[in-house]
Amino acid sequence: MNLWENLKMALSSIFANKLRSLLTMIGIIIGICAVITITTLGTTLRSTITTTLNSLGSNLMSASATPRSESYYDSADIEWTYDDQIPYSMVEELMEKHPEIRVADENPVGGGYLKNSLDKQVNINLVGAYNGTLDQNGSRILAGRNISMQDVSDKKYTCIVSSIFVRQYFKNNEDPIGQTIKITNNDNGLAYEFTIVGVFNYNSLINGMLGNEENATTPIYIPNSIAREFQQQYGEERAFYWVLSYDPKTDGKAAKKIVREFFDAKYAANKNFKVAIYSNQDTMKIIDVVINVITVFVAVIASISLIVGGVGVMNIMLVSVTERTREIGIRKALGAKKSTIKLQFVTEAMIMCLIGGLIGLALGLFNGFLAGVIANLIVSNIPTAKQVLGTITMVPSPLAIVISIIFSMLTGVFFGYYPASKAAKMNPIDALRYD
Amino acid sequence: MARKLITMRNIIKRYYIGQPNELQILNGIDLDIHEGEFVAIVGASGSGKSTLMNMIGALDKPTEGSYFLNDTDVSRLNDKQLSEIRNKEIGFVFQTFNLIPRANALKNVELPMLYAGMKKRERQERALELLKLVDMQDRYTHKPNELSGGQKQRVAIARAMANDPSIILADEPTGALDSKTGHMVMDIFHRLHDEEGKTIVLITHSPELAAETERIITISDGSIISDTGKKKEKVSGEFIVSTSEHDLKDALIKAESEVKED
Repeated sequence: MNLWENLKMALSSIFANKLRSLLTMIGIIIGICAVITITTLGTTLRSTITTTLNSLGSNLMSASATPRSESYYDSADIEWTYDDQIPYSMVEELMEKHPEIRVADENPVGGGYLKNSLDKQVNINLVGAYNGTLDQNGSRILAGRNISMQDVSDKKYTCIVSSIFVRQYFKNNEDPIGQTIKITNNDNGLAYEFTIVGVFNYNSLINGMLGNEENATTPIYIPNSIAREFQQQYGEERAFYWVLSYDPKTDGKAAKKIVREFFDAKYAANKNFKVAIYSNQDTMKIIDVVINVITVFVAVIASISLIVGGVGVMNIMLVSVTERTREIGIRKALGAKKSTIKLQFVTEAMIMCLIGGLIGLALGLFNGFLAGVIANLIVSNIPTAKQVLGTITMVPSPLAIVISIIFSMLTGVFFGYYPASKAAKMNPIDALRYD
Repeated sequence: MARKLITMRNIIKRYYIGQPNELQILNGIDLDIHEGEFVAIVGASGSGKSTLMNMIGALDKPTEGSYFLNDTDVSRLNDKQLSEIRNKEIGFVFQTFNLIPRANALKNVELPMLYAGMKKRERQERALELLKLVDMQDRYTHKPNELSGGQKQRVAIARAMANDPSIILADEPTGALDSKTGHMVMDIFHRLHDEEGKTIVLITHSPELAAETERIITISDGSIISDTGKKKEKVSGEFIVSTSEHDLKDALIKAESEVKED
């Protein structure tokens, strides 16, 4: 008796009683459907949060000089001196050694306003940037190009401006790319001309916006190296806290290790302070765990209906075994072994649950898809949410699909086993005489 | 002389052993059946002939005694081995046909071969051949409920022949058929016996049917009370013992005609 013959036999008896089989499967269908729907929502929630956080800069880490002592009372006596702060030169050294590490949060090196040709004031901040800065602010280039590494290393007087700035500063439909803007340093009266090479969209939800768009202050990004020069007029920049980013292509753990080892070496001689590294990946990991735990928990609750479904299958299998007593007798008389009969009925229960599981899977995926459509409909009606979330893509969990299909088959085997043994144990003489 | 196929010695079957209602159905049956015999086992209801049939068919094991089928001691076999005996050595034909209702004629005939582990193509070829033998090849796709009683029984006979068993064990094969189709079915048995040399054991309560066979074993109250075969190997007419005058006459006529044919 090969497996294929067994499957065919099981299918034929399942299809012989279509309505009954379908009704029997309903418990399994609902169970699997619920599990798949929930896990799909769970993984989608996770991937949406991950993508959103990534767009805010998941490849960020903070390096902060903190007292070595963990205890608040011990550290209360420690003096926080200028020398304990992390100097920019140290960060620069790190960046030189490891090009994948960058300073992420550039503070404005200056702020003020520009006057356009109509003598209108446009508020701006001048911020040093390199080509990774935009990604971390949830912005992207709309026209032209980003500030390149070349711009930074060659100290080219280029800049990129926000789309809001373009609307504020330029007259209708004027192409800003290639235009120059003049920025004056009020401290020394020197004026610098920057060529606009690109326009980015300003993400007000992430970066904040003061006032309405008419007079909002948006950053103008200039090459980091030039910004540093402006900064150094006031002495070397030092801070207890730096936000660093790493190339998204590099592994977060490795980047974190590089940074930690670098600062550990630098602060080895400092008795009071060390540099603590905390990466955004750590936060992501916690969110990940929380969502996973909730998903699994709810999925397990949903899978209780599988047990109910399994009992339904068992019930029908018992009825079926009784109904087919005579058939079992015939099969035994024709030479079917106990094991053959048992396998036949277990296969039948398993196939029934598998079909139920597959239907449930299809419905569950459909539910997930429907939820995605509804979620996108809602999101698209909230502009700020749309800006952050974009289009939500439903992500079914492959693991959940595999597990739930296997689990539905196991349900069939488990609940089909008793009726099948009952069938196998039948005395052929009595079974043949059964009416 | 033909080989001994069945050797039963002192077969006793009791039910409800050790209980107040203990019941002894077979009281020490001694029976030998040789290869190529066409035997009828007759007896009234409750005589124990069905129990004896179950015993011969390896559906049941005796409480006491020994049963050798083809040199295998069936009384010592376990459940799995009994299944194999039923599969390969016995071909059952039942009064109520007992075809699997959901399977078509071909599938029904294939079933014993499926259990024997035969390959699909081989199985199908043999099943078609067997259906041809009983003249049912045109209806092999029909399900049992699309067949008449006689057709069903012919499919059942084809199925009984599937694994080329040592014995065809037919339990009242014409009991559910009208006399015309009954005769047709009996003709098939005769053909299997005459042309294929099959050993056939026919269980019946009808003396007329029994008279068509070569040897009649009569059972009453769990014992063999007469056996025509004990006196003569091949029927020649003179030693036939029967339960009624009428049967005796029929048997004699039958025997005469066979002698003439010879």
